[in-house]
Amino acid sequence: MTSRLPTWLILGLTLTFLIGPFLIIIAAALSAGNNLAFPPQGLSVKWFIKVFEVDSFRASFGVSMFLAIFGTVVALILGVPAAYAMTRYKVPGAEFVKLIVSSPIIVPGIIVGLALLRYFVIPLGVGIGPALFLAHTALVLPYAVRVVSASMDNLRVDMEEAALLLGCTRFGAFRRIVLPNIRSGILAAFILGFVTSFNQVPVSLFLSGPGLRTLPIDMIAYMEINYDPSVAALSALLAFMSISIIFAAERFIGLSRYV
Amino acid sequence: MFDYVSLQNLTLAYGKTIVVGGLNLDIAKGELITLLGPSGCGKTTTMRAIAGLLRPKSGTIHLDGTNVTRVPPSKREVGLVFQSYALFPHLNVFENVAFGLRLRQERGLDHKVMEGLDTVGLTDFADRATNDLSGGQQQRVSLARSLVMKPKVLLLDEPLSNLDARLRLEMRSELQRVQKDTGVTMIFVTHDQSEALALADRIVLMRDGEIEQIGSPEELYNAPVSGFAADFMGFETILPDDGNSGKGLAWRPGAVQIGAGPHHGKVRGASFAGERWEYVLSSPLGDIKANLPIGGPRYQIGQTVDFDLPRDAAVSLERVT
Repeated sequence: MTSRLPTWLILGLTLTFLIGPFLIIIAAALSAGNNLAFPPQGLSVKWFIKVFEVDSFRASFGVSMFLAIFGTVVALILGVPAAYAMTRYKVPGAEFVKLIVSSPIIVPGIIVGLALLRYFVIPLGVGIGPALFLAHTALVLPYAVRVVSASMDNLRVDMEEAALLLGCTRFGAFRRIVLPNIRSGILAAFILGFVTSFNQVPVSLFLSGPGLRTLPIDMIAYMEINYDPSVAALSALLAFMSISIIFAAERFIGLSRYV
Repeated sequence: MFDYVSLQNLTLAYGKTIVVGGLNLDIAKGELITLLGPSGCGKTTTMRAIAGLLRPKSGTIHLDGTNVTRVPPSKREVGLVFQSYALFPHLNVFENVAFGLRLRQERGLDHKVMEGLDTVGLTDFADRATNDLSGGQQQRVSLARSLVMKPKVLLLDEPLSNLDARLRLEMRSELQRVQKDTGVTMIFVTHDQSEALALADRIVLMRDGEIEQIGSPEELYNAPVSGFAADFMGFETILPDDGNSGKGLAWRPGAVQIGAGPHHGKVRGASFAGERWEYVLSSPLGDIKANLPIGGPRYQIGQTVDFDLPRDAAVSLERVT
C-alpha cells in the first residue's frame, strides 16, 4: 500500500491540475459578488443570466458559431476529396500536399494571424470578415483531411470495384459506397473542426476589428473593462457545450477511434 | 462458338512492369474455365482486365462478339466475386444483392433478389447485416449479388481461399451446381491445383504472364507439357530426358520403386500418411519423393537403398523446365 502512495499522488495532482481550473471557474461564476474572485462571495446564478444580456456576447457568439459551422463545412468539402485522392491514388507529391495541409497546426497561430494580416488583408484590401473565414477554414482543414483519411484507410478498394461492376460510375461508387462508410469519420472531423475553430484565439486576435469579433476575443475585450464573474459564467457554459459535444460524439460514433 | 470471350494478343502492365505479354485465349459460352498458376503469374491481372478494372497496354477483349476493350466496367455486364467478398457493410444482405438491380431500376426487384438469395440458399438471411454472416455465407451473398445481374461472364477471384477446408469442398460443389443451373460462363482464378482439377471444364495454366498449357483437367493431369506444368500437377521427380533434346521425364511419388534398381539414395525422411508411407531420398539425381503402400518393407532414416525410376511409369515432357 505504501508503495502505491506516490502513484496515487501523481494521479491526484494530474487530475487536480486538469480539472481544477474548470472547477474554480464554475465556483467563481456562481459568486454573488461583483468581482471575479475565488473563493466566491455568496451564491447566485445572476452572472449566468447576465451573459445572455450582454449584446456583444450575443453578436460574437453568432460570429463564432458561423465560423465554426461553415468554416468546417467548407474545410470538409475541400478535405474529403483531398483525403480520398491521397488514400486511393498515387498522387505525385502527396506527402508534400499533406505537409502543406498540416502547416496551419504546425505553424504557431500568432504567426499565421500576423502573416495573414500583414501580407493578405492589408496589401490586398481583403475584408476582415472573409479573411477570418478563410483562416478558420484553413485551420480546420488539417483535421478534416487527417481524420477522414484515417477512416478511408479502413475501407477496402474492392468494395468500390464491386460497385463499378454492378453498374456504378466512379462518382456513383464514391457517393453510394465510400461516403456512407466514412460518415462517422466525417462527423468526427466536423466535431473536432468545430471545437478547434470555436476555441481559436491567436489567429482570430489579428483578424478581429470593430463590429467583428469571435467570442473568445470578445471575452478578452470584455474582461479588460469589466472584471465581473460573467466571463467565468460564459466560460463555464462554453466548457459545458464542448464537453457535451465530445461526450455525445464519443457515445455515438466513438470519437477516440479517430483522434 | 468457341469465342464468347476472346482475348487477343493481350498485354497488361502495371506502370512499366509487363505482367501479361501477348495472351490469346478463347472461351466458349457456358464454359467453366480456371486460370491456374502461382502468385505473380498474371492470372488475377488477366481477370481484372476482363472485368475492365485494368486497361490493357495493347490487344483486345471481345465479349459476345463486341469489342469491350475500352468499355468501362459498369457497362461490361461482367460479374466479379472478390476474394475478400467486398460486401457493402452499410447495407443488409437484401440491399447488397439488390444494389445493381436498383441502379438499373429493374422491375420485380423483390422477386429477383429473393430468387438470387434462393439460388445460394440464403432466403432466411435477407434482413441480416453482412457482418453477422460467416465467411461462407458472405461468399454466397457476393455470388448472389453478381448472379442477379445476369452477367455475360462471372469472374471469381480465389473465392475459396478464405474458407476452411470443409466449407471449401461445400462451396466447390455449390459453385458447380450454380453454374449448371444458370449456365453462366465462369472464369475462376486459383492457385490451387486440386480446385482447378475438380471444377474446370478447361484449365489455363499460366506462367510468368504467358499460357503454359491449356487443356481439360485430365490432359493437364496426365500429360503435362513441361517441367513447370508437371510440378504443378503433382509430379515430384522431374529429370532431363537422355541427351540434349531439352525434353524431360516426370514421375509421381507413387511411380518410384524402392528396393531394387540402378540408382542409390539415402532415406532422409519417412512419414506415415495413413494409406501409405512417404519417403524422401537424397540421391545424386537430387531429392526423390517416393510413396510406398502400407504393408510392404519399411525403411529407416539414414538407410541406403536402391531405387528405380521406371521408364514406362514416366510421363514424357516436351520441355524439362
